[in-house]
Order: sequence, then C-alpha cells, then structure tokens
Amino acid sequence: MNNTIVRKDVIAAAVLVAFGAFVVMIGLKIPLGVATDPLGPRTFPVALGAGIALCGVLLVAGMLLFRRAPSGPGLLADMDPEDEAVADAGPFSLTRLVGVVAITAAYLAAFEPVGYLPSTWVYVLALMLLHGGARGRSLAITPPIVTLVLYLTFKFGLKIPVPEGILDRWV
Amino acid sequence: MGVIEQLLGGFAHALAGPGLLIMAAGVAWGIIGGAIPGISGAVAMALALPYTFSMDAATALVMLAGVWAGANYGGSIPAILMRMPGTPGAAAALLDGYELTRQGKAAKALGISLVCGTFGGLVSIIFLIALVLPLGNLVLAFGSPEIFALALFGLTLIAGLSGKSMLKGLAAGAFGLLLTTVGLDTLTGSLRLTFGRRELLSGVDIISAMIGLFAVSEMFYQLAHPARRETPTIVDARTAFPTLAEFKEVWRATVVGTIVGLIVGVMPGAGATASSFVAYNEARRWSKRPELFGKGSMEGVAGPETANNAVQGGDLVPTLAIGIPGSNSAAIMLAALILHGIVPGPFLMSQHTELVFTLFAGLILVNLLMIPVGVVILRACLLALRLPPPSLVASILAIIFIGTFAADLFVLNPILALIFGVIGYGMRVTGFPPAATVLGLVLGFMVESELRRSLIISHGSWAIFVTHPISAVLLLATLAVLLYPVFLNYRRRRKTPVSPAAAPAGS
Repeated sequence: MNNTIVRKDVIAAAVLVAFGAFVVMIGLKIPLGVATDPLGPRTFPVALGAGIALCGVLLVAGMLLFRRAPSGPGLLADMDPEDEAVADAGPFSLTRLVGVVAITAAYLAAFEPVGYLPSTWVYVLALMLLHGGARGRSLAITPPIVTLVLYLTFKFGLKIPVPEGILDRWV
Repeated sequence: MGVIEQLLGGFAHALAGPGLLIMAAGVAWGIIGGAIPGISGAVAMALALPYTFSMDAATALVMLAGVWAGANYGGSIPAILMRMPGTPGAAAALLDGYELTRQGKAAKALGISLVCGTFGGLVSIIFLIALVLPLGNLVLAFGSPEIFALALFGLTLIAGLSGKSMLKGLAAGAFGLLLTTVGLDTLTGSLRLTFGRRELLSGVDIISAMIGLFAVSEMFYQLAHPARRETPTIVDARTAFPTLAEFKEVWRATVVGTIVGLIVGVMPGAGATASSFVAYNEARRWSKRPELFGKGSMEGVAGPETANNAVQGGDLVPTLAIGIPGSNSAAIMLAALILHGIVPGPFLMSQHTELVFTLFAGLILVNLLMIPVGVVILRACLLALRLPPPSLVASILAIIFIGTFAADLFVLNPILALIFGVIGYGMRVTGFPPAATVLGLVLGFMVESELRRSLIISHGSWAIFVTHPISAVLLLATLAVLLYPVFLNYRRRRKTPVSPAAAPAGS
C-alpha cells in the first residue's frame, strides 16, 4: 500500500474520530424533546457523530488488518475514487492552496464594506497572479472585463442589488 | 386530464415569455461548460443555479435541464478535436472521435455526436415519461414507514459513489446527513448544532454547500495542482451532419447506445461515464465491422455519445418519482426545487403535476435545441478552450461567489461555499466522495423526519417498519445492497491467497 495514501488515511481517520466525538459531545447538550417523540431531536445528530467516529476507527483498523492484503477493490481497500482525475494532477502546491483560501477569505471580508467592483477586480487579479503563467495583457484585460460583466449581469440583468461599498456615492 | 393534454400544457408553460431563449441559453452554457475540461455537467449546473433565483421553479428546472443536456454533448467537442474529454462521460467517444479528426473527418464526428446524442436524449425523455407516471401513482400509497425505508434505500447509492472504499463513502454520507440536522428542529422546535449563531437557525444552505463541494473544490484543486491542464492546441472545426448512408452505418450503434444509456441511467450512481464505455463495447460487439473500432469508426462515436445523452432520462426516473437523485446533476435539479420552496420527494408528481409536465416538455425542447445551438455555439466553445487557465479559474471563482451571494444577499452564503470548498478539496485528496455528502444533504431531512414520524405513529415500536410490507421489502433491499460488496470482498480475499512477495517492502 502506498505510504502517502496510508499517511493521508491516518490523518483522515484522526479527523473523523475527533469530529465525530465533538459532534457527540455537543449533541448530548440538545434537549431530549417530548415524550410522544421517542427519538427526539438529540438521537439523530448523536448517532451520526458516533457513526462518523466509528468510520474513523474502522478505517485505521482496516489499514492494520489488511495492510498485507493484495491490492484491489474491496470494502476497506484505500483508493481514491477519483483516481483517474488525481492521476492527471500536477505536483501539489501548498502555497497556492493556502493562497487561494486566504485571498478568497479576504475578498469575502471586503465584499460588502469595500464594494463589489473594487474587491472583485483585485480578487480576480490576485488569483491570476497566484496561478501564474498569465501574460501582461491578460492581467490587464481579464479582471476588469470579468468584474464589469458580472456586475452588469447581476445588477441590471437579474435586478439583484450588488454591494457598492466605497463607490456608493458614484455608482 | 390525459397525459397528452398535460404535456401540451407543459409545452405552453415552457415556451411562455422568454422560455425558449432561456432554454437556448441553458443549452449554450452547458455545451461551453462541458467543453471546458474541469467543468463537468454538475459543475456547469451549479454555476448556473444562481441565475435561476429570479425565475419560477419550472423555468429554472428547464434551464438547468438544458445545461445538463448541453454539457453531455459539450464534453465530446474537445474529446473529438483534441483527444481531451471535457467531461468524464465523453472519454469513450475520443477513442474513435479523435481518430476521425486525424483522418480529416472532425466535422462528421461532431455531427454524429450531436445528432445521435440528441436522438438518445429524446428517446430517454419518452422513457422517463412512460416510467415515472406509474411510479408516481404507486408511491401515493406510501406512509411514513415506507418513505423512510425508501429514503434509506436511496442512501445505499453511497455504495455506488464510494469508489473503492465504502467506509469513506459512509463517513461522507453521514456528514451530509449531519448537516441537515443543523438549525431549528421542525418537530419540536429545539435548536441543534447552531453554536448560538442566529445565521444557522434555518440550517446549512444546501445550494452553497453543493456549490462549495462541487465547484469551489474543483477550482481549488486546479490551483493547487497547476500542471493538471495545459492550454491545448486547437484545430478549427465545423459541424457536418451525417448523410442517409452514414445513418444506415451507425443506426445499430445508436440503438445499442440508447438501450445501454436508459438501463445504466436508471441504475443509481452508475452515471454517464459507465454508460458510454459499456455502450462503446456493446456497439463494437453488435457491429458488422468491429475491426474499425479504435481506428476511426463512426459507430464508435455514435454508441457512446447516444448512451451519454440517454442517461439523462433514466437518471431523472428515481429523482422525480421518489425524490432520490441518481447522479450529481440530478441532485442539483433537486436542490433547485428546494431553492424554489418545493420539497422533493415521493409526492412531487401528485402535488406539482404542472411543474413536472413543464419539465418533461422542457426536456424534449432542450434536446431539440441541441442541434441548432450545438452548430452555432461550436466556435464559442473553441474560443473558451483557448482561454488561459489563470483567467478561467479566476473568472469561475468570481462567478461562484457573486452567485452564492445573490441567493439571499447575505455574505454568509459565499462564506459557506468557501468553507465547503475547503472541505470538498480535503475530501477529494483523501478519497472521500463529496457526492455522498450531497446525497446525505438531499435525503437527510426525509430520513430523519419520516423515521421520527413513524415511531410517533407506532408509539415507539420499531416493528412498524417490518409489519408494513413495502417498507419491509425496501429495508431488505437496502440490506442486500449494503452486504453485497462485503460478500464480494470476502469471496475475493478467499480466492486470492496472500503471498509474502505481495507484501510491501518494509512492512
């Protein structure tokens, strides 16, 4: 079994156990409900939390039990279901992943106070720079065109108000 | 009112106002989206979802059906022209489609794909109408125990979505079910898993979660693994329709593709990819010239492309008759219903008959629109394929976040889409199927509420699920579907003895 897959699965199993236990813990604080409702509002989330934690435990148990088993499809064989897509993937870049999440979080934080037009312009430009490989002309043209097309589509085409932010006085 | 009258009413509703224009726009976007690798049919539909907010439910559904149908064809354009399938369902068509392009017959290959795909799509809609109406009448007799058993059976779809690890599929499905418990409990009014946040009182927004899991995670994946897609070299092309003689050559493969697409479509979780590969093999088996397959056979394009499109009608059978989505695209159709205040489930047919017939009519119309729109939009597809990846990824993310904001003008929805994008990315790289989470999200409310209602009716006795014959049969079927892979796995392990050489080094 591939060591990377094993490491990923151990991390995933740990996350499942921790998340499941957390859900059970907060689920137990949900009121029991009324006597006529035998299950009440608590049972379902608590049972699901316990089930998720159990999946984590079984995932590790499966790895330990079947580590020497021949590879191939099976209940506990640990393969990526989208391995076809993953096989086409290039090398993983943590910087890009953290970058896109951070840039998007900053964009959403600025979305209402700064306004749609300036924040989206900067967002598209930042993503293109993060991706890399964009030519100067593309960097100059794509962000304003995408921003304006979306703004006009939503504001005038779909009649959906878009946050104007700092441009409120002029737009 | 008879079926024909209701269908005619559906046509009138679907064509009212700008209906035809909206359908054509849906088909056009579907073809362009499907042609761009990385945007599957489901992602193209998820991206179109926000644009349906201001439409009525029927128009929204018909537009999304157009996107779905369009993406089925769109995926084959880069497959035929560049040996690069736009959607997984088009992968089988590239085997012979690209060979035809190399022989200078790209226009003909595109024409066969378009015409045969349209034929498959149209037959599948007739099949859908014929099957869904009796099924819809059958479920009218269902009470809470039967609906619970049905929803539970629907969850066994997770087995099909799980890839090679059922355990990961189950965990992903349980996560989706858990998400539906967030917010105000509808039976008792108790608050659940809201962490004191007022924004979570109405629960997790299913649209934002779905867009995050499908579309945002895909874009994050493309950014974090940048070498996945290169800007392709694109040949110029047009569409040439097959002549009568060529029709005679491909009719057998077209019929085979239609039958395979219909059967595989009804089987939940199987999907367009499986159907097109099965159809390719079957078309070769039934062909009078199987030796041409792989060397530029028109039948090799017609078979998988017909099956790819014929899946749509089959997929919609369980979706409309019992409220259980057969694929990611069908799940988005159900999400669109929820978005417009309609509860999907076994009673959709009886409670919203007009809507369902409008969808039937719309499905026929969008399949007919495929041919003119497919011809006209080809050049735009080639332009879209020339877009450099940085511009494409950045534009799609911008579309996603304004779209999720537009749902209720609340910035929480794009934040949820971001969070679910991160979760979806994590799930993809660790082998957890996001589609199982979406299934849990769609079916969660039905499972819990009907389970609790059943137990309220029976005063807490679980025997209610066994004493009702339909629910007993459905529960047995659920058990059989879940245990079958375990049995297969056990048999495989018994047959294959473990040799020391098979063990990995160092273990």
